[in-house]
Amino acid sequence: METAFSIVPRNVGSFDYFALHGNIDAQAEKLLKELPHKVQRPVVKFDFSKAGRINSMGIALLLRCLKSIKEEKKAEIRIIQPSPMNTMLFKMTGLFLLADLEH
Amino acid sequence: MYVSKTVLALFHDRDDESLCSPLMSGLPDIVRVCVTHDVAATFENMKRVGIDPCLAIVSSRLYPAARPNLVAALRESFPAIDVVLISSAADPLPSLQPLAADRVRHLAINPASPWEQEGNETRHQFLTAINNLMKREPWNMADYLSPGTAVHEYSVSSSTQKEELIASVEAIIAGDTGEIDLLRQRGGLLADELLENAIYNAPQLEDGSKIYRKGEERRIAPREGITFRFAFDGDMLAMEVTDHWGSLSPDMVLEYLVRNQEGGDSLDDTGGRGLFIIWRILDHFHVSITPGQQTVVGGHLKVSSPMDLETPRGFHISTHA
Repeated sequence: METAFSIVPRNVGSFDYFALHGNIDAQAEKLLKELPHKVQRPVVKFDFSKAGRINSMGIALLLRCLKSIKEEKKAEIRIIQPSPMNTMLFKMTGLFLLADLEH
Repeated sequence: MYVSKTVLALFHDRDDESLCSPLMSGLPDIVRVCVTHDVAATFENMKRVGIDPCLAIVSSRLYPAARPNLVAALRESFPAIDVVLISSAADPLPSLQPLAADRVRHLAINPASPWEQEGNETRHQFLTAINNLMKREPWNMADYLSPGTAVHEYSVSSSTQKEELIASVEAIIAGDTGEIDLLRQRGGLLADELLENAIYNAPQLEDGSKIYRKGEERRIAPREGITFRFAFDGDMLAMEVTDHWGSLSPDMVLEYLVRNQEGGDSLDDTGGRGLFIIWRILDHFHVSITPGQQTVVGGHLKVSSPMDLETPRGFHISTHA
């Protein structure tokens, strides 16, 4: 599993898609701050299948990013394939109040 | 060595007492009371006959829901008393808000069936924690591990060591089962949070503001005394981080747990979310604070510990002179 954080966008037509790779912590701040500006469609999907460890700072950055997309872009956010560990973390910290889990 | 002092155990009823009693069977000087009447009068009667407990073990079936004023009454009669709340694993976790208001800083979890497989181990851990409390000693991770387990210890001199230290924790959790892989992930996240707490949250100015920003690279002076210790005995993972800032207060730790348990909507990293995550992942969370001098944050976690939000987790938050 790669550890350096990166965001890989993919053009899929009807929705915005971003795959989050690596660990999500303070080092992810710049990329996560820029991400809401890239949202153009009413549905945004975040793919966590390649995400690694997410610490409390990473959770804070994700919450800020998701809130910005919800409020400024009025977009619906869906979470794809988080690991069991990250799913529990999202439940614990209220991230699913801003986004739905896509099964 | 056990120091003989009286422990007062307060239960809701006889059923409650019989559920908790096996856990307390190693305590020699214990007064058991099922609280059915006016508690203040009960405590005053105890004082009259010379019973002066240093520690109260209170069942969560009694407090905070059924008898919200119980701890206040206890402290009215016995001002120096320390209080441990004991909650059955089968019961819902009590709300932490009243505990924070009453400065109840110890929560022990009683397994639902104390005589089953994990009963003896849990009792040993409970008695160890109680003895430490009575002797005013901080927790010692070796008490929770198999005898002879190697404890790895590193002095932290730079923030850049964090990933290497996390990798060291992951490396000692050997095995490729799903359960072990999950423990490895939990161990990595615990190490991350504990180290970030000591490196970025502990250094504070007199007004409580943080000196360093999370993520910035920084050197750590030897006087900060940031030390990371961890061990794995094949079944139990234990770790702790010490810093010599001593800037955390017990009230603040509980406030952080309350705020996040109640679904705080803070979007920044200042609301103690890291400590909350540490508590929710560990089986038991330990914080020992010598104000202005030292903070030790850590705890232990079993391989088989379920990873869910329902399993109640305990804590001991203690201060030392």
